[in-house]
Amino acid sequence: MKKQIKISDKALKLINQNQIKPIPKWEFVVKNWGLWLGSIISLLILIIGIGITWFGLVDNIIVPYIWIFITVIFSFLSYLFFEKTKKAYHYKKWQIIIFIIIIGIIIGGILFKTGIANSIDKELENKSTYYRQIVPIKVQTWSNPDSGYLSGTITEIIDDNNFKIQDFNGKTWTINSQDTVIKGRIKIENGQEIKLIGTKKDDSNFTVEEVRPWGGQNQNKMKEN
Amino acid sequence: MMIDPKDCTKEDKELVALSLKDSQFFYCLMKRYEEKLINYVGHFTYLPTEDIADIVQESFIKAYQNLNDCDCNLKFSSWLYRIVHNQSVNFIKKHKLSLKININENDDEFMAWLVADTNIEKETITKYFNEDIKTILEKLKPDYKEVLVLKFFEDKDYQEISDILQKPMGTVATLLSRAKIQFKKIYEKTNKN
Repeated sequence: MKKQIKISDKALKLINQNQIKPIPKWEFVVKNWGLWLGSIISLLILIIGIGITWFGLVDNIIVPYIWIFITVIFSFLSYLFFEKTKKAYHYKKWQIIIFIIIIGIIIGGILFKTGIANSIDKELENKSTYYRQIVPIKVQTWSNPDSGYLSGTITEIIDDNNFKIQDFNGKTWTINSQDTVIKGRIKIENGQEIKLIGTKKDDSNFTVEEVRPWGGQNQNKMKEN
Repeated sequence: MMIDPKDCTKEDKELVALSLKDSQFFYCLMKRYEEKLINYVGHFTYLPTEDIADIVQESFIKAYQNLNDCDCNLKFSSWLYRIVHNQSVNFIKKHKLSLKININENDDEFMAWLVADTNIEKETITKYFNEDIKTILEKLKPDYKEVLVLKFFEDKDYQEISDILQKPMGTVATLLSRAKIQFKKIYEKTNKN
């Protein structure tokens, strides 16, 4: 084969001459932990993104584009960070991608089902002035009686088929609820926050076809529990 | 400080730990792997001796600098081969060369692998090795060549190849199988022409 060269001697001489030292262990530890942390944080944001997107699509009518965008971006970031970790090469690329998607959907779905996604959405609304400017406003969506969407708090039960609500703009509506489908575990009683799908009859009367709890179908379950 | 030659007989992991305190111990590791690494680089680069020496030397220095990053759960040799492999690939890319495969017909294990499932007689392969067969092997994708060299010339098992090339073990097996398919295809195409 090739002629033997005293490479080891030359390398050792260079190491000693140039006073080359091993890079401290903590630098590698920080780098490795950083990659894992980046991957996990990205995965968490992705999970929250899926939860809120799910909540948005089911209960909000409007498609929450920004959360879909965030979900896609953090899926990539989670993959990229993980791919740089030392363990990543044991797995095929498609296995990592499928794992991220499945974890995102399962835990994101749990966040939606338990109402946590809704709570996060509300928390973000409370904490940031600009959040509602970016994410479609639920109140606006459900405060459009001309299009058949109304929401508010029940203020008075007139009889079995009629009750009154005060919408989030402070206006009182009389609601006719004959042949109404009630979605979710909700009771028509004073103080309940609800959203309605139906038809506007005039400036103060609304015939409802479907009643849903304001905070999503599952938030009520949580309250009752 | 001069080290006792007996210390150089210690296991890789022990020498790594000692090297972090004294570079002289790293010399033992370098001596242990120097020839193997020269052969390894030679097997898949065909580079002149001086270039191979440069690659191995640079790899040793890089390995020493990154000694604290050595994953003790893996074999030290796999970790070192990984560095040499990267260094070689970088060199080849930098100089716009292509990966070669330095093989001869006297390697029984490789010949057996080549003959199995290809319907090509061993005598045919031996007879035309230096003409057609070598040319066909040169045409294989670089990924295939890397795996072939590690499997047949460095005698690495799938786990070690996986650690060196940083590919899942399943992929290593797939690459070997695809290398055979590609070899067979090129051989048949060449024969038709």
